[in-house]
Amino acid sequence: MKVVRLIARDELRLMLRNRVAMIAFALLVLLTLVAVASSWSHQRGMAELRARHAQAAEDAFHAQPDRHPHRVVHYGHFIFRPLGPLAAFDPGVDVFTGNSMFLEGHRQNTANFGDVRQSSLLVRFGQLTPAFVLQVVAPLLLVFLGYGALARETERGTMRLLMLQGVTRRQIVAGKLLALATVAILAALPALLGFALIAGQPGALALPMLVIALGYCVYLALWVVLILLVSALVRRSRDALLSLVALWAIAVVLLPRVAPDVASAAVPLQNRLQTDVAIARDLRRMGDSHNPDDPHFAKFKHAVLARYGVTRVEDLPVNYKGLLGVEGERLTTALFDRYAGQSYAAQARQNAIVETAAVLSPAIAIRSLSMAAAGTDFAGHRRFLEQAEAYRYALVQRLNAMQAEKVRYSDDTAEDAGADRRKRVSAANWQAMPDFTFVAPSGTALAKAALPGLAVLLAWLAVVGLLLALATRRLGAFR
Amino acid sequence: MTLFLHEVRLLLRQRLTLLSLALLGLLTVAALAAGMAEVARQRAAIAAIPAAQAEDIGAIAAWVDQKKDAGSAAYYSFHATWDPPAPLAFAALGMRDVAPYILRVRALGLEAQIYDGDTFNPELALPGRFDFAFVLVFLSPLFVIALFHDLVSGEREAGRQRTLEALPRGGAALWRRRTALRLGLLWATLALPFVVAAVVEGVGAPAILLVLVVIAAYLLFWVALAALVGRLRWSSVANAATLAAAWLVLVLIVPTLANVLINQTVPVDQGAEIALAQRDAVNRAWDIPREATMRRFYAAHPEWADSPPLGSQFHYKWYFAFHQNGDEAVASRVRAYRAGLERRDAAGRALGWLLPSVGVQALLTRLADTDLAAQLAYQDRIRAFHARLRAFYYDYLFHDRPFGKADFDRAPRFASPETLSRS
Repeated sequence: MKVVRLIARDELRLMLRNRVAMIAFALLVLLTLVAVASSWSHQRGMAELRARHAQAAEDAFHAQPDRHPHRVVHYGHFIFRPLGPLAAFDPGVDVFTGNSMFLEGHRQNTANFGDVRQSSLLVRFGQLTPAFVLQVVAPLLLVFLGYGALARETERGTMRLLMLQGVTRRQIVAGKLLALATVAILAALPALLGFALIAGQPGALALPMLVIALGYCVYLALWVVLILLVSALVRRSRDALLSLVALWAIAVVLLPRVAPDVASAAVPLQNRLQTDVAIARDLRRMGDSHNPDDPHFAKFKHAVLARYGVTRVEDLPVNYKGLLGVEGERLTTALFDRYAGQSYAAQARQNAIVETAAVLSPAIAIRSLSMAAAGTDFAGHRRFLEQAEAYRYALVQRLNAMQAEKVRYSDDTAEDAGADRRKRVSAANWQAMPDFTFVAPSGTALAKAALPGLAVLLAWLAVVGLLLALATRRLGAFR
Repeated sequence: MTLFLHEVRLLLRQRLTLLSLALLGLLTVAALAAGMAEVARQRAAIAAIPAAQAEDIGAIAAWVDQKKDAGSAAYYSFHATWDPPAPLAFAALGMRDVAPYILRVRALGLEAQIYDGDTFNPELALPGRFDFAFVLVFLSPLFVIALFHDLVSGEREAGRQRTLEALPRGGAALWRRRTALRLGLLWATLALPFVVAAVVEGVGAPAILLVLVVIAAYLLFWVALAALVGRLRWSSVANAATLAAAWLVLVLIVPTLANVLINQTVPVDQGAEIALAQRDAVNRAWDIPREATMRRFYAAHPEWADSPPLGSQFHYKWYFAFHQNGDEAVASRVRAYRAGLERRDAAGRALGWLLPSVGVQALLTRLADTDLAAQLAYQDRIRAFHARLRAFYYDYLFHDRPFGKADFDRAPRFASPETLSRS
């Protein structure tokens, strides 16, 4: 053990003497601190902005004057996706998804005003976040610091000397591992420090944070082992550097871009125009509310009349138009749900293809682990969209029921000058409407979603570790 | 010339060089194929619009024809607009994966419609597209580094440098020859597949030439950087490490840092505020005298003021008038929002003058009509089309003319810019 520590200390001393390496390391620490600070302030700013917008939208909704309930169905409601505290560490797809949504009757709108369409072209170069620094920059720094660890000794023949002095191959490799792992821990420290800031925020969950920290430790450990593996296999340090940079470029830059292209070619998504046309077609098949002789709505009318024991809609104790609204909304929403479900399923299949590519690139694995645990992945966005849709449906149906119960049919169908006044219900009703509250997933659910990524990373670590153990046995066997 | 051929033979004997060039060629071809496939998908989606629209409008026409009510026709008819990919779009897909290239609008308030998006998977958009621009901007510098980091230092480490410099036509001429050869090979590996793809896609000759010059200039920048680092007379390993670090800083770190800075220094009024304000402006009409709405509308649009006065019954012309009033109430916000977006975009482009990586990306997306300017131009075309839609339906609504089945065919059709005229 003493020998191992000695070798590690010697390696670290050599790195300290390498001026370029030291500057690079200092820059990384600085970059991480900037990333932590800017992401943190961005997340706070965004969360506050959205909370303010949400408040303004709620106030506007509650402040409506006396109105016909169906007017309110179309006045609709704006809701905003809240940004969780962990988004300060890994904002995931937040920039790419719209964060506000207009909810109204008989329509399913898209989430709009994503930052990607409100930023300069630079946004497509990546985002400076602690997650980006750890996923992309830190491995390259480790490559720069560690490529020569074993290759240099082989190249200069010092490996022989070490062995002659009675140091075993395993001790040499263990010592170098210890040195590079120390650097990795130092490099990751500032980013994980950002966690301390996040942990202080309300709603920060311990379990996902633990999984994220564990995931990044495994990811960096994997790079440490991989770097030593290449350094052990290659005869010259230059070859070690070039192969490692190539590996890094393929795993971190190239594959994460190629995999989505493969996925989108393999699983096409139906665009909005085709979806809307298909929904309209299905609606016509189910029942056409514009057509007085439509079989579906004729049957519906019969059933309603029978339920109340009357023969004419005018004699109903409730407003038939409200009931019609409830039925119409039920039909359209069933279709919306079906088509949205198909689209979500297709997108989930696409993401599954990308995640399969994690077998080739650990960067994809850590990215999905990180986003899943932070709740900023596609599943997190889908959670918002589904809750928004559930809220929209409940809101619209509440308003339709209000029309059925509080607006008289005779008033609703009247067109005289005073009819407009009689159709309206009291403004107090809008104040009684519940607001949208996003139900954040539990820490356990988030952590569970991150487990597949963690499993892939651990498998990578095991395989690379095994290969390094094999390579260690024939270390210095060249020449 | 024989000397040059000799150099070629020497270079091609190196495994690293051959491997690098083969890999770069493969990546270029793959990126071009991926870009062309994506553009073909988008063209197919646009080509599928008429059939879908005919079905949708046909069904609406069938029941509107019973009452011949122009208001119902205007309210229920969605009209398609589209933004076909420019010939060069396959090389730089830009924003086309996150901004819609098909959008349906109706004659109601446009500000509630124009910011809608299309369906896309955000996790696929997150890392960016694998297109030719990506291979050029992100990957090609790595190949320059692989081929140039040991140009001189490799010979020095092999103990040949002094001999080479003492040779007749050695020294500077030799390094120039070798540099030109390596640069030429890299350029050809990127340029030849590109030219083939561009010709297939029907890109005009000036655009092709410009891209070829951009490729050469960008490669030259990295070669110059490698030469500069080489002058420090460090070892090959130190050269490679320094150049890779420079790549990281110039291609990944500075752009991301600048993005944070730009978004903080150039605040943009959130688009959501426009949507909120427009909705309130529109819905207020139900709570004020209808004559007030009409007065305001006629004041801004006297061409419809000869319309008969409103009765006590609901009339769609009032409905459309307050929608247009709502749009006009937020016009100044819309202008400010757009100006903010353009300022941000301009700041990003300005960085392109300092940072070749950003500059090339900006130039390619501009040439390919896939940048923010192209998006805004598409929005302008939607606005112009929407104005024609309004004028078309208003003619029926404000003059109380019946709207029958045949009138649906008279509705204005969106004219996308001729694909050829844009190259």
